[in-house]
Amino acid sequence: MMRDILFHIKSLIAGHFTVFKHSFKPAVTVEYPDEKPIIPDRFRGKHTFDENACIGCKTCMRVCPASAVEIFKDGNKKTILFDYKKCIFCGNCKYYCPKSAIGMSKQYELATDKVEDLKIEMGKKDNE
Amino acid sequence: MTETMKINIGPQHPSTHGVLRLVTELDGEDIVSVTPVIGYLHRGLEKSAESRTYLQYLPMVDRVDYLSGFFNSYAYITAVENICNIDVPKRAEYIRVLCMEMNRMTSHLLWFGTYILDLGATSPLFYSFRDREPLMSLFEELTGQRMMYNYFTFGGVRFDVTKEWLDKILKYTDEMPAKLDDYEKIITSNPIFLTRTKNKGILSKNTALKYSITGPCLRASGVNLDFRKKFGYSIYNELDFEPPVETDGDTFARYKVRIAEMRMCLSVIRQCVDYLKNNSGEISAKVNSVALKVPEGEYTTYVESPRGLLNCYVKSDGTNKPYRVKWRTGSFYLVQMLPEILKGHSMHDIMAIFGSLDVILPEVDR
Amino acid sequence: MNYLYFLYIQFLDKYGIPEIFGDITFPIFPFCIIAAAIILVVLFLVLFERRILAVFTQRKGPNRVGFNGVLQTTADAIKLLCKQNINPVGVDRFLFNAAPILVFVPIMVLWGLIPYSSEFVFMNFSTSAILYTAIAALPVIGLILAGYASNNKYSLMGGIRAAAQIISYELPIMFVLLSVAALASSVNLKDIISAQISSVWFIVPCFAGFIIMFICSIAEMNRCPFDLPEAESELVAGYNVEYSGMRFALFFLGEYASLFVMCAFMATIFLGGYLPIGNKYISELIFGSNFQFLQLLIYFEQVIWLLVKTFILVYLVMLVRATLPRLNSQGLMLLSWKFLFPLSIVNFALIMVIKYLMVV
Repeated sequence: MMRDILFHIKSLIAGHFTVFKHSFKPAVTVEYPDEKPIIPDRFRGKHTFDENACIGCKTCMRVCPASAVEIFKDGNKKTILFDYKKCIFCGNCKYYCPKSAIGMSKQYELATDKVEDLKIEMGKKDNE
Repeated sequence: MTETMKINIGPQHPSTHGVLRLVTELDGEDIVSVTPVIGYLHRGLEKSAESRTYLQYLPMVDRVDYLSGFFNSYAYITAVENICNIDVPKRAEYIRVLCMEMNRMTSHLLWFGTYILDLGATSPLFYSFRDREPLMSLFEELTGQRMMYNYFTFGGVRFDVTKEWLDKILKYTDEMPAKLDDYEKIITSNPIFLTRTKNKGILSKNTALKYSITGPCLRASGVNLDFRKKFGYSIYNELDFEPPVETDGDTFARYKVRIAEMRMCLSVIRQCVDYLKNNSGEISAKVNSVALKVPEGEYTTYVESPRGLLNCYVKSDGTNKPYRVKWRTGSFYLVQMLPEILKGHSMHDIMAIFGSLDVILPEVDR
Repeated sequence: MNYLYFLYIQFLDKYGIPEIFGDITFPIFPFCIIAAAIILVVLFLVLFERRILAVFTQRKGPNRVGFNGVLQTTADAIKLLCKQNINPVGVDRFLFNAAPILVFVPIMVLWGLIPYSSEFVFMNFSTSAILYTAIAALPVIGLILAGYASNNKYSLMGGIRAAAQIISYELPIMFVLLSVAALASSVNLKDIISAQISSVWFIVPCFAGFIIMFICSIAEMNRCPFDLPEAESELVAGYNVEYSGMRFALFFLGEYASLFVMCAFMATIFLGGYLPIGNKYISELIFGSNFQFLQLLIYFEQVIWLLVKTFILVYLVMLVRATLPRLNSQGLMLLSWKFLFPLSIVNFALIMVIKYLMVV
């Protein structure tokens, strides 16, 4: 009985001391908007599109699990439409593109006020 | 007999880990009956497989249980590989096991933090998240994302691991045991923790087997059943590890099993890293994933996930889409057993017992 | 306080207003001082707690609003003030509105009982220590009413738990207070402090009592590990689950005000209250004993000494909060009735023996 109580008191003190010990360690917080996290190279953020490399094979459309990507082919002009309402950033379109025309950038701040902004068309401007 | 009170715990409740609803009948604070209601997180993951090709379904399986995505990928991919008779290179298997064991570590760390938070202590939550973060960053570096990896492919893995990456893991495994000791100093022998967990929610051997409980909860009840050991799938039979077993079957035993399993994870991770550092080889078999030809057949995989046995059953009818995909997850059976295990306890113990089971609700509803 | 009263009467006398009017209206001043002090101290305490908890868990805590986050709690308070007061369907309107006030008012009275310096005590009754413990148990009525009136099962359970808790933890506090009263031969807080000038601080002979008092005070403040009435992971928020806006702010204010005043009370009866370490005032050492305003400086220094002691205790309470998980109700009862209550009686007996030996 007495030994139990002593053991409990000892473990309570050890617990408090362990927590107290942590107050001397530096903070691990990353203050996000001021201090950006380090993004690795393989990060899957917003897509990039190289319309010159694209051959319009539509593999990306076939491998996308969410039907978030669409290719429009008009002669030599290829445009791609990403629907970020549906996209789950799995990277299948990037991984299975035979010509590596689709890439994924490190851009991850994609929040927007307007729903139309989530449908992004790429590859049109340069061809026009 | 006093009048009983019916109280709805959930679906929106701070500690039901998702959206579980427990219709609880209380007599004072004593539990008369508990009825779990599930289905609030149903996403149709099994049905949606039938309208997608094998490759299209691949990124979605990470979301069956978002805390252990690698296990789900592994279960699905090995099922498909076995139907197609694809041989996976050994190095790829080692990378897969390494990823899975690291994933088990993150999953258990998250369980530790949230479980202690359910019991009311705040600091350990932050410590466990702090220690989970390096692993998440390592995953991000390797696969491109922190939780939804889409890293395993049919026939192997997508990218090879680098030496620097492996060194970072070794550094982590060296630092981690001291941090686990810190956790244990705060919690394991704390008298309040002991009164709340010892002899609470006892899951006897028979009940556990009757409800087909698997994983750490079963091993805490004295049954030494670990599918890594039993089937030795992947390269587990080449590794040296001994899953921890406790005999009490109470909440404290489950806690101890998970803490011991974290230490075991570290040793398995170290063995995998040793192999990967000293051996080189292919990381993927030559498979055309986009036009994957899956012959008619069916296969069921057995994977020991952090929450118990994970089965993935895939049936193929020869087309490019699976005929049927069925998931069997550990959490579902744990929720099923809740009325039995909570009987005779008080309102306080609901969260202490439920938290110790480590239920992930998305995995229950799928 | 007498000095303030004297000034006020003098001021009224100048305009020919009778003294009786001054007697009646004078309590407005201490009331305003306490109200302002509570708000300031609570704003600081909440920030202090958030910062301390952040330090314990290797975080940074609030550091955006104002310089290094000092205005964070002020911003939170303003937000709470601006929020809508929601009256849920089926609540007992009168009790629902009265409960936060019933919680807050007794705590405000407690603030008036603490002697902040040898002259600065708002209500100096001869039985102020006894009165303190009596009033300290009152807020629980507010909690029970809040739980009952909210028409919510979680609230009701929280309220009932609060009641059970206060009953079991009031008795050990009384016994510890009795032993302190025996040591000081008085139940007046100022006399208890002056008794500690000549002898040691009462924490030395009565260390077990201090530990009991510390545990029971945490229980009475409903703080972790005794926060069963509002156990977040079980009862969502317990008795205040239906409250919003200003009414919730009152509960919140009451919780932190009681944290401060309980620690101040413990500092008073165990750590010598406003007495400096070694009975030497720093201002006396700096300015010499012949300095003109020495007495006035000492009054202020005494307040600072009390604050320092109080905040050391507050820090300990927060360390406990950061470390320990929550007790369950059985454990709560067992701890009180099987451990703290017998120990407090043993402690009382021991103190009586010490007192007897001291007198002889």
